[in-house]
Amino acid sequence: MLSPLSHDLGRYMDLLAERQRLVASNLANIDTPGYRTKDIDFQFEFLSLAPGGAPHVIEPADLVVKNDGNNVSLDREARLLAENALRFNVASQLVRAEIRKVRMAIEEGRSA
Amino acid sequence: MTRFDPIQPIRPPEPPAALRPAAPAAEGFSSALSSAIHSVDGQQKSAEAEIRRFLNGEGVDLHQVALAQQQAQLSFELFLQMRNKMVQAYQEIMRMQI
Amino acid sequence: MSLFQLLSVSASGLAAQRARAEVIVENLANAETTRTPEGGPYRRRDVVFEPQPQGSPFSAVFQTELEAGSMGVAVAGVVEDAREPELRYQPGHPHADANGYVAYPRISPAEEMVDLMGAARGYQANVAAMTAAKDMLSKSIELLK
Repeated sequence: MLSPLSHDLGRYMDLLAERQRLVASNLANIDTPGYRTKDIDFQFEFLSLAPGGAPHVIEPADLVVKNDGNNVSLDREARLLAENALRFNVASQLVRAEIRKVRMAIEEGRSA
Repeated sequence: MTRFDPIQPIRPPEPPAALRPAAPAAEGFSSALSSAIHSVDGQQKSAEAEIRRFLNGEGVDLHQVALAQQQAQLSFELFLQMRNKMVQAYQEIMRMQI
Repeated sequence: MSLFQLLSVSASGLAAQRARAEVIVENLANAETTRTPEGGPYRRRDVVFEPQPQGSPFSAVFQTELEAGSMGVAVAGVVEDAREPELRYQPGHPHADANGYVAYPRISPAEEMVDLMGAARGYQANVAAMTAAKDMLSKSIELLK
């Protein structure tokens, strides 16, 4: 019923939620000795078109490691937190617009 | 004796121009509809392309996506209203007693 | 499911940072405590964090590879500072030893305050994550409308 675009938007939102979960893990462990920042390669996962597949968890390489072995950067995680939430918001609005369009076509057809 | 011409059959009067079959008008109707469809379709496609560029991370600004989507939405809504009016007009004409 | 898991991950972060803050506050309150029920001056205490894989109420049903990356945090334990107490020369003090020295906890209020700020910052970061998750969840719910 919904266009292929809507399915892609859904996949986009799935990946954003995954990424956000890892951001939350990083923030929870911001002071945990030895903990390494976790992430996913968003572009790669999105373009690899595997709906329902689990994305690979990777460890970003270019982060500063503190004395206790922890390499979580508050700035990086805070930025990702905001960005992911914003993109999720945009995608959900676009899906709603798609739904609204189809519904409008159905209802207008009835009343014509 | 005066010669009378044979009775000629009565020629029917020319129908007034207004009642001639409206061939040009019918063309205008269907071509207006199809050009509207093409316009809406084009807008939908360009909005979809813009959204895909956003999803693929090609540096599209959010406002571009929003504007393209809204434009497509508005032209679709306008098209629906136009179509409804055209259908109404057609039905009225069909109901007319000739 | 990711977003619900996120909530429990952030909740663990909140709990851990709060535990850390509580220990720091105890240190600050007892910075000058020269005698404890166990004998001897108060010893500075510190929390130890460790990563903790998060289950959620749903995970038993939906456990997949997806949940592998999700890591909350837990307080592994509270350790006491092993350093020798600080000795100050106060002969008149009721807790003075034979040489007139009183043993004080080795606690620097400035250090503890900085640590406390760190705990507050960590707490805030987890609150931000939780708020973002709640926002995303409500956007998802709006799709139903």
